[in-house]
This record gives sequence, C-alpha cells and structure tokens, in this order.
Amino acid sequence: MLSRLVFVSGIVVHASRCLHTSSQSLAPVPPLPEKGGKVRHGFIPEELFQLLYPKTGVTGPYMLGAGLLLYMLSKEIYVINHETFAAASIGAVIIYGVKKFGPSVGAFADKLNEEKVAKAQEVKDVAMSSLVQATEDEKKEQWRVEGRAMLFDAKRNNVAMLLETNYRERLHMVTNEVKRRLDYQIALQDLNRRLEQEHMINWVEKSVISSITPQQEKESIAKCITDLKVLAKATQAKATA
Amino acid sequence: MMLSFFDQFMSPTYLGIPLIALALSLPWVLYPKPTPRWLNNRLITLQGWFINRFTQQIFQPLSLGGHKWAALLASLMLFLITLNMLGLLPYTFTPTTQLSLNMAFAVPLWLATVIIGMRNQPTHALGHLLPEGTPTLLMPVLIIIETISLFIRPLALGVRLTANLTAGHLLIQLIATAAFVLLPLMPTVAILTAVLLFLLTLLEVAVAMIQAYVFVLLLSLYLQENV
Repeated sequence: MLSRLVFVSGIVVHASRCLHTSSQSLAPVPPLPEKGGKVRHGFIPEELFQLLYPKTGVTGPYMLGAGLLLYMLSKEIYVINHETFAAASIGAVIIYGVKKFGPSVGAFADKLNEEKVAKAQEVKDVAMSSLVQATEDEKKEQWRVEGRAMLFDAKRNNVAMLLETNYRERLHMVTNEVKRRLDYQIALQDLNRRLEQEHMINWVEKSVISSITPQQEKESIAKCITDLKVLAKATQAKATA
Repeated sequence: MMLSFFDQFMSPTYLGIPLIALALSLPWVLYPKPTPRWLNNRLITLQGWFINRFTQQIFQPLSLGGHKWAALLASLMLFLITLNMLGLLPYTFTPTTQLSLNMAFAVPLWLATVIIGMRNQPTHALGHLLPEGTPTLLMPVLIIIETISLFIRPLALGVRLTANLTAGHLLIQLIATAAFVLLPLMPTVAILTAVLLFLLTLLEVAVAMIQAYVFVLLLSLYLQENV
C-alpha cells in the first residue's frame, strides 16, 4: 500500500529505498528484541504505568482501572448476568493454566532454539577441532621429515661400518694366508739346514772314528789309567788330610 | 427462558453486516507468519513445533499419495482448534456450533476421499464395503450396512462436532445461569454450582481440543483407506 502512495504522489524514490521488488530483505537485518514488551498482570503494558506515574504515582493506573470498572458496573454498561460466572470460570482456568504451565512451556520453546543453535555450533566445533588436529598432524609430519635426514645418516654410517668391517676381515684373511705360506717356506728351509747339519756331523764322526788307529786307542787307554791312579792318590791324600 | 439460551448460536449480524465473517477470520489474525529468521521468538517456535509434530503424527501411517493433504489437514486442525478454544471465552460466537459450517467442511472433504479412492483404485475402495472373514450368507446384508455406514460418515463428522460444541456451550450457559440465580437465594449451593461450572469449563477445554483433533483424524483415516 505504501508503494502505491509513493507512486501516486510522484515523489522521486532514491535507489537506496527500494520498493518491495523481491522477498529478500536487505542485509544487515536488525536484530529482534530478545524478550517481548514488559507487561504487568499479564496483559497491561508497563508503558501505561510509566505514562501515569508523574501525575498519579504508583496507584494511579489501578485507580483508573477500578474507576472504569465501577463506572461500567454502576451505569450498567456492563450488566452482570450468567455470562459473568462463565467468564469468571474460564478466567480462572486460563490463569491457572498460564501460572502453572507458562514457565515450562517457555523453557521448552527456549530449549528448541537452544538445540538448533547447539547443532550448528557442534558442526562448527567439529570442523574447527578437525582442522586444528590436521594442523598438528602436519606439524608432526614436518618434524618427522626433519628427523629423516638423521635416519639416513645413521643408515649410511651403518653401511659404511659394514663395508669397513668386511674390508678388514678380508685384509686379515689375506695376511694370514700369506704368513702361512711364508712360514711353510721357513720351516722347509730349517728342515733342510738341520738335515745338512746332521749329515755333516755324522760324516765328521765317521771320519774321526775311522781315523782313530788301534795303536792310538791303546795309548790313550793306558794314559787314562795312569791319570786315574794319580787322581785316586790325590783324593786319598785329601781325604786323610 | 429456553429460547434465549439458543440466542448465542444465532449467526450474529450488526446492521445487516454478517459478523460471522469476522469470527471466521479471527484465527488467521492470531497466528503470526513464519519469519525468514533462523531463530524465532517463543510463540513462533512453539507454533512451528506444534504444526510439525501434528502433521508428522497424522501423516505417518499414510502413504505418499496422502501426503498431498498435509497442508489442508494441518490448517483445518489449527482453524478448528482455534475456533473451539476462542468460543469458550465469554460473549463470543463459535462458528463451529453452526451445522452449516461443519457440514461444509465434512461433506466436500469426505466426498473428495471417496472420489479419489474410486478413481485411482476402484476395486480396493469398493473392497472396503466388505470386511474380511464374513460368512457367505451375511455378505449381501453386510454390504448394505457398510454402504449405509459409508454415507453416514460426513453426517457423523459434521453432527459430532456441532453437537459436542453446542451441548458444551449450552451446559456452560445453564449452569452459569443456575449459579447466578442461586447466588442471592442460597449462596452455598451457588458456590457448589460455581465449582461444578469450573470443572465443566475444564471439560469443555478438553472437548474443544479433542473434537477438532478427532475431526481431522477421522478424515485422515478415510483418506488412508482410499489413497
């Protein structure tokens, strides 16, 4: 209806105040008030009390209400009849219902909204925690990658050591074999020399023994006997002295 | 004296303007439109929750073809329950006490279910006229009886709602009158009658809600048979 008024009056409409061309509202939409307007006794707005307070104080609106009620009753603008009783009865039912179940129903409605928010919040939280977890995992992987160089160094050292050990073993083996062969040759030479020596000794003995004549043998034995006699005399003398 | 008790059920006019149109449009004014917001105030949250739960409850046993009726039956339920509950307030007129209104709801909706059944699955719809396991001798009689019961349905729907609400309102008026008249004569009896009136009002609140629910539930049952 407002759009029709604007059209008829022919006022220039600025582009910022668009007419209802689409059902979407222009963002940002102002927030709704959290609670409804304050009321006293369930249906009288608080603004009435505030309005009358400067002039009539605290009891002003109540006097107004009582006065209006008495006016309507006394002038029989409102006639008391059977409907009054029915009104009192249904009023009692309504007030009882509101007082008893009002807070729980309100809490239920709030809970419905809370659950909605909680579900969305949970999605957000799960997404955030999974992303944080992913970041930490990534950092751990990077740290692992740093460690990999050390791992490679260690492995390289291992391999080098193995190679070294193998080389030394082979060197040792070669040395041993060569020494064995040389020992054999030495032993062979020793054997040769000994044989030669023994042979020469045998030959010298044989030649000496063959060179000893029987005459020489008798002379040597007689000399030995006279030597022995002299010696016996000397010892006998030493023993008695 | 009796005649004046039925004055409350007369369709109200003022200077020739039928006020029943106003009475019928009152429920529409009382329910705010669902907002494009994600989180709403308590009223709209509860309203949305109620409609969701009710629709889910009614349409769970129905096959998918019946789900087309969801908007119709949910809005009918809201309309009836609001009219019934508003009628309990003093000096109000309840449109659902008028047989014309209730028959205007019952007959077209019932007829729609029957025609849907006859068009889409005539054999199955006609099969409802004969319950399973009837002895052969009883079959003709039973078919006649079932046909009569089928045609009684819209009548029953409309009259049930009308009778319940009219009777309730009449009782409230009668007992309130009794209490009012007895108050100067025998105050104690008047107090007792007032207590009775209070209990009756509680009953009427329950009846108002139940009758609306039963109306819609029966319609959904008829739909379930035929869809």
